[in-house]
Amino acid sequence: MTAAALPPGILGQRRIRRMGRGRKSLYIGIAIMLVMLVCAFFPEFVAPYDPLAFDYNAIMHPPSLAHPFGTDNFGRDVLSRVIWATRIDMQIAIFCTLFPLFFGTLVGAIVGYRSGWLEAVFGRLVDLTITFPFLVIVIAIVAVLGPGLLNMYIAVSAVGWVFYAQLMRADVQVQRQSEYVAAAKVLGYGEARIIFRHLLPNAITPIIVYWMTDMALDILLGSSLGYLGLGAQPPTAEWGVIIADGKNFMSTAWWISVFPGIAIVLAGVGFSLVGDGIADIFRRRR
Amino acid sequence: MSLNYLVIRLAQILPTFFLIMVIVFVLVHLLPGDPTSALLGIRATDEAVNRINEQLGLNRPIPVQFLFFLRNFFQGDLGDSIVLKVSVTSLIISRLPVTLFLTAFAAILAVLLAVPMAMLAALRRDSAVDGAIRTGFQIGLSMPVFYIGIVLLTFFAARLRWFPVGGFGTTFGEDLYHLFLPALTLAFSLSAVLMRNLRNGIIEVLNAEYVDFARAKGLRNRLVLGRHVLRNALIATVALFGLNIGTLLGGAVITESVFAIPGVGRLMIDSIYGRDYPVIQGLTLTLAILVSLVFLVTDLVQAFLDPRIARR
Repeated sequence: MTAAALPPGILGQRRIRRMGRGRKSLYIGIAIMLVMLVCAFFPEFVAPYDPLAFDYNAIMHPPSLAHPFGTDNFGRDVLSRVIWATRIDMQIAIFCTLFPLFFGTLVGAIVGYRSGWLEAVFGRLVDLTITFPFLVIVIAIVAVLGPGLLNMYIAVSAVGWVFYAQLMRADVQVQRQSEYVAAAKVLGYGEARIIFRHLLPNAITPIIVYWMTDMALDILLGSSLGYLGLGAQPPTAEWGVIIADGKNFMSTAWWISVFPGIAIVLAGVGFSLVGDGIADIFRRRR
Repeated sequence: MSLNYLVIRLAQILPTFFLIMVIVFVLVHLLPGDPTSALLGIRATDEAVNRINEQLGLNRPIPVQFLFFLRNFFQGDLGDSIVLKVSVTSLIISRLPVTLFLTAFAAILAVLLAVPMAMLAALRRDSAVDGAIRTGFQIGLSMPVFYIGIVLLTFFAARLRWFPVGGFGTTFGEDLYHLFLPALTLAFSLSAVLMRNLRNGIIEVLNAEYVDFARAKGLRNRLVLGRHVLRNALIATVALFGLNIGTLLGGAVITESVFAIPGVGRLMIDSIYGRDYPVIQGLTLTLAILVSLVFLVTDLVQAFLDPRIARR
């Protein structure tokens, strides 16, 4: 039976149940994010050991009370490495999205409001950007610039802003037709004021939601590049780098690679839940 | 689908090809980081640098270089690999089939996973089954490809020995067997994306009046679901599928590295380590052109599924 065919009472109950679950997953998401942020900002207080210190008396020890996530082939404490890596991976999430967020939103708002030839040029640019597999073009740029985190940020920013712009343009194009924009025009407000004070705040929600997803995607990308040796460089503790370190010991010392992997999944789920939760709240307001 | 639409769509692809070439050229030739000194190291003598520049044509003006690049491309010449000393075209031709096989296999697996799961989740909306499927796929979406690969490799290949640890077979059956784990690895995140989209699509279509009408006509449930619900819900998913082929090819780069598969993805990573610029350039170009061709096919399939699209 479809929702439309149900009597209103049941439908109401269902909606309440769904709303309750939406809130709950938002709170779980926020909790995960908070833990991640504490680890990222204060790793020295959270981590029990120095993430880079070798301990030749504790090589490849399985998880125990002294080392809850075990130790790696240099006797480094995996828990401490995973905690310190949170700082790098959160940095990746922020630095890969900061420029795309601001620049893309700005370009999208202007193109969406102005339309005309600007729109035609932008349309071609979007078509072209999605033709290049994202990972392939980022890898190619990193290959030319040289491996490392900074070059990865440059590569991701150079391509990533297009998606924000595309999203913003679509939303502004719809909002442009609305009465409040017409009212602002009648009042004689300038273009810049209409775009920044009126259109932008009304069209920003999808961008914020996409930003959350994008941060999760960039953590996946950053750890993948770290794994391939093109992102963060060892001995820096980064989730992908730690997994690469432990890859050859998977059948004898699974804990080296498994725990940082769980951290990546947690971060991804956390960002997605927060993004979905925000989207839900705004949808209900409308 | 009208012939008109086909012709327009085919004509649109030519400027895209041209722009792809401009971007790839700009990428390799204008970004800081000069291929020659990267190749020879900082202690290279001036003569050595000049010789390599001469060899690669890097001492000519940029526009001239681009014209040569275009001419060579249309003659099927993408230059020679610096490390492997063979032509880039022959390298790509020998490696590409492996990657295409892997991606196609993964795409099929992703659809086989996504369609029944989406059906189940949509028909049992908000039930425990729906919740479990959606949670599973949410985790799948948050898992990096290389991690899924390593876990599957350790468990099913190294521990249980059900599958080979890597490589590629010589017959079709062997290929399927060798590439099953890598393809499954690659299929995971795509199936999560497709599943979510298809589930929402099915739920939307189930509410449509023509579905009520089909039921009122007395059509059997299976017929309603197959012919009316799934076909209409699939239209949006086909577009999404096409858009994600690029992501799948990107994932192949990583999967091939994890499973030691001799495809173009692994070639790309090896070329980066070896600073083999002609190969990187050729591969980026080939993959982008491939993706734009997939977009073309996706559009045509969509127009076939929903003739209204072609009339727009």
